[in-house]
Amino acid sequence: MTFCLSGIGSFAKLWKSNPVLLGRGHSYLSLFLTDFCGIRNQQRWFSLKTMSPQNTKATDLLIAKARHLRKDEGSNKQVSSDSSHLFLAGAAKKRSQMNPQSKDHALPPVKNTIELPTKPLNSKEWDKLKEDFKGKVNFESWISSQMAQCRSSVDVAKSLLAWVAAKNNGIVGYDLLVKYLHLCVFHKQTSEVIDVYEIMRARYKSLEPEANTLLIRGLIHSDRWREALLLLEDIKKVMTPSRKNYSDCIQGALLHQDVNIAWNLYQELLAHDLIPMLETLKAFFDFGKDIEDDHYSKKLLDILLYLRNNHLYPGESFAHSIKTWFESIPGQQWKGQFTTIQNSGQCSGCGKTIESIHLSPEEYEFLKGKIMRDVIDGGDQYKKTTPWELKRFKNFVKSCPPFDIVIDGLNVAKMFPKARESQVLLELVSQLAKQNLRLLVLGRKHMLKKSPRWRKDEMEMVREQASCFFADNISEDDPFLLYATLHSGNHCKFVTKDLMRDHKACLSDSKTQHLFFKWQQGHQLAIRNKFPGSGITFQHILSHDTVVQTTGDSWHIPYDEDLVERYSYEVPTKWLCLHRKT
Amino acid sequence: MSISVTFLRPFARFLVPFTLHRKSRNLYSTVLQRNMSSKIPSLSYPNKESASPPEQLELDGWKTTMKSSVQEDVSTVSSNKDEDPLAATRELIEMWRLLGREVPERITEDELKTIMQCASKSSKKKYLKYLYIKEKVKKARQIKKEAKAAAREEFKKSKLLETTEEDKQQNFLFLRLWDRNMDIAMGWKGAQAMQFGQPLVFDMAYETHMTPKELQNTISQLLESEGSNRRNVDPFHIYFCNLKTDSAYHRELIKRYGEKWDKLLLTATEKSHVDLFPKDSIIYLTADSPNVMTTFKHDKIYVVGSFVDKHMQPGISLAKAKRLKLATECLPLDKYLQWDVGSKNLTLDQMIRILLCLKNTGNWEEALKFVPRRKHTGYLEVSQYSQEFINRMKKAKTFNSLSKGSLNGRTQKRWLE
Repeated sequence: MTFCLSGIGSFAKLWKSNPVLLGRGHSYLSLFLTDFCGIRNQQRWFSLKTMSPQNTKATDLLIAKARHLRKDEGSNKQVSSDSSHLFLAGAAKKRSQMNPQSKDHALPPVKNTIELPTKPLNSKEWDKLKEDFKGKVNFESWISSQMAQCRSSVDVAKSLLAWVAAKNNGIVGYDLLVKYLHLCVFHKQTSEVIDVYEIMRARYKSLEPEANTLLIRGLIHSDRWREALLLLEDIKKVMTPSRKNYSDCIQGALLHQDVNIAWNLYQELLAHDLIPMLETLKAFFDFGKDIEDDHYSKKLLDILLYLRNNHLYPGESFAHSIKTWFESIPGQQWKGQFTTIQNSGQCSGCGKTIESIHLSPEEYEFLKGKIMRDVIDGGDQYKKTTPWELKRFKNFVKSCPPFDIVIDGLNVAKMFPKARESQVLLELVSQLAKQNLRLLVLGRKHMLKKSPRWRKDEMEMVREQASCFFADNISEDDPFLLYATLHSGNHCKFVTKDLMRDHKACLSDSKTQHLFFKWQQGHQLAIRNKFPGSGITFQHILSHDTVVQTTGDSWHIPYDEDLVERYSYEVPTKWLCLHRKT
Repeated sequence: MSISVTFLRPFARFLVPFTLHRKSRNLYSTVLQRNMSSKIPSLSYPNKESASPPEQLELDGWKTTMKSSVQEDVSTVSSNKDEDPLAATRELIEMWRLLGREVPERITEDELKTIMQCASKSSKKKYLKYLYIKEKVKKARQIKKEAKAAAREEFKKSKLLETTEEDKQQNFLFLRLWDRNMDIAMGWKGAQAMQFGQPLVFDMAYETHMTPKELQNTISQLLESEGSNRRNVDPFHIYFCNLKTDSAYHRELIKRYGEKWDKLLLTATEKSHVDLFPKDSIIYLTADSPNVMTTFKHDKIYVVGSFVDKHMQPGISLAKAKRLKLATECLPLDKYLQWDVGSKNLTLDQMIRILLCLKNTGNWEEALKFVPRRKHTGYLEVSQYSQEFINRMKKAKTFNSLSKGSLNGRTQKRWLE
């Protein structure tokens, strides 16, 4: 930066000497947020202040801080029910924060040899800037991509293009045009987008998906939005359009009140096996407020069922849209509220019981067969076990009456690194045996061999209180655990801290994976203790299934909060409860 | 007309090149120009009045040029727009190249068809990147070749000028036939190994587990391994077991070796290694094995799976060994090396070099030099390893007594202090 200032002192007035004032930061943040909410004239003002990297960093930090604060609030509220449940949103993030080794990722150093201009320059100034630039790459493309990244104002980019064109007989390269288009689309300058569109259509026979995507996004706001659909057709010629392309086109159609096209595009999107963006679905709901049409509302309900079947959860703003739409249906008097579900599985808002986590008998049989075939067998029985061992295990399970609890011996025993394995196992087994539960302990043969960590007398006591099955040392024990639990029936639970993600991944399709996850939520007992020897307690098992659901005159829709990070194997904690006033 | 010219004066130098040719369109473009410049929202600059007007006007000049200089292209658009997906893909690649993406400059019909067959967008991009890199490497090599040829030419010329007169007879013991002699010597050694050498088996039963690309890599590694075996003082007698005739393996090997394939001094067979050798003398080498190899045994038959596994499917070779009830072993990498990154699966040529080295010297440090340097940070002292082991044992003991205390009387806290 000092280099730049000394180098081009003559027109330093053109350069914004970007002061990172702490006081300003707040205003930046608020502007940033309103920008997302779609208040446009403010955004315009904001965008002119080309953000230097430092400023972006500052805003990023502030946003991150705000997010952090919000999350803490959220978790405080949640603490009352459960400190951190294995499958509830945010738990994994918290676990990773507890781990002292994970440091905050340092931002990579920004190497920026030239400060971006904030005002249009004339050609002499551009020449000067080019001389100052030292780098291997082409100056024009470098600076234009920098501008696209920092969201410079359109005029600055335009002056760059004018300069390039002047040097180059009025020809501007395709990559510069695309980057310029990117800026125009970002700043929502529709007339500019149309100009570039004309130029591109005139100069080039066909475009590639990136430019097409940008053009679609830019054109849908104009009167010529139907041409965006033609561009979509162009993309289809060479590859499947992305769900973003569809999303843009659908939003354009809705913006111009063409509902039929929007639904057709939606059907097409589903036919391509793409998962629609939540934005797209939200747009349908937002649009639905203004029309009274039974057909349309039926389709919206279909969307909700789609969410249910695919285990998708709406975001916070989408949840608001759903609520608003329901409340806007005339004559039905829907009432919506944002609530949580109690541990008993009842909605705090209306008191209704949420769907149970248990699988239906058919689903249960299906899952059992799948686990046997995909996880344990997997095309090659030798991979995880051996046929004779499998036979031994099956005979063993058949010979025993159904178990109440199946314990992953090694996982439990290794829970406290400072305590002896066999002792921890014995503690758990004897505690459970006191409750008159039929236990099965799964382990490996090496646990029986005498060693300092596995004492024979303690293992004997374990074997007295529970049935045991020991697999070969090189076999995997988790598949056996899953099978034994499933074989014993719906009441049977299993004890392990393992999230079983690798076994879930062995299942062939996402439907089975969802079934597995649901079953896992309902049957896995995870140990909560952090220290040995204080009586082992388990995390409570969720009694309700977290999924979009309806009883006809009520809807319960779980949703993701904007500021809570949820991992794929966690479920949201917040719900939207909708019911009809009677 | 005159008005428009004065209006245009500030950026006349941009427009001059084409205003000369296309006078008729000039007026149109000026009007367009004016419309556009009025479209720019004026609220963008509060201090717009102070800014000099020429800057404002310059901004849209390029557009008219871009639009007007295209007339020729436009005519081709409608005629050339056939529905051929191949042509469309070719155009797409061309546009990507303009964008500076990693796509090849030239592309053949076959490659285009391969791209069309790619299932997903990312696989298309991946394949294009592969072609791009291939093209770049080829080009660089071409340039190098030309430079070398030029240098050689130069050298010849200078030599011709200088040393024509010094062309006198010298006395030599040997003719310069080193390469051929070496080949023949290696052939003799190979024949000897075929008769008396220790067998080393490459198990070729993994064809179904590999993608075509992985298979190609495997073949390359096999070629490399065979090469280093040939050059060794005391080569193995190599067996290619489970090599089905007309399988992809077989075809690829013949393609790569050419005529040499039938003259190779190794045994290629469709039979399995368990049919050729007694089961109890076979040791299957696999990184998944729980048993660690301590010494190289000269009376055993080592089996290496010729399998490149880029998709991380663990336990396939172990499953194969389990099925045939064979003994398995893995290299003692952890014992001798401070492992850092990367998988413990080594390539086939690294494997055979390690085995050759062990066979000749029996020295693990020497042999494990062939493990890539990037994968480990250095050698472990053997004493250090045993020291660690002892420490671990000690720890286990103290904790045992510790936890016993906690069970008896909950004196855990005091113990810890």
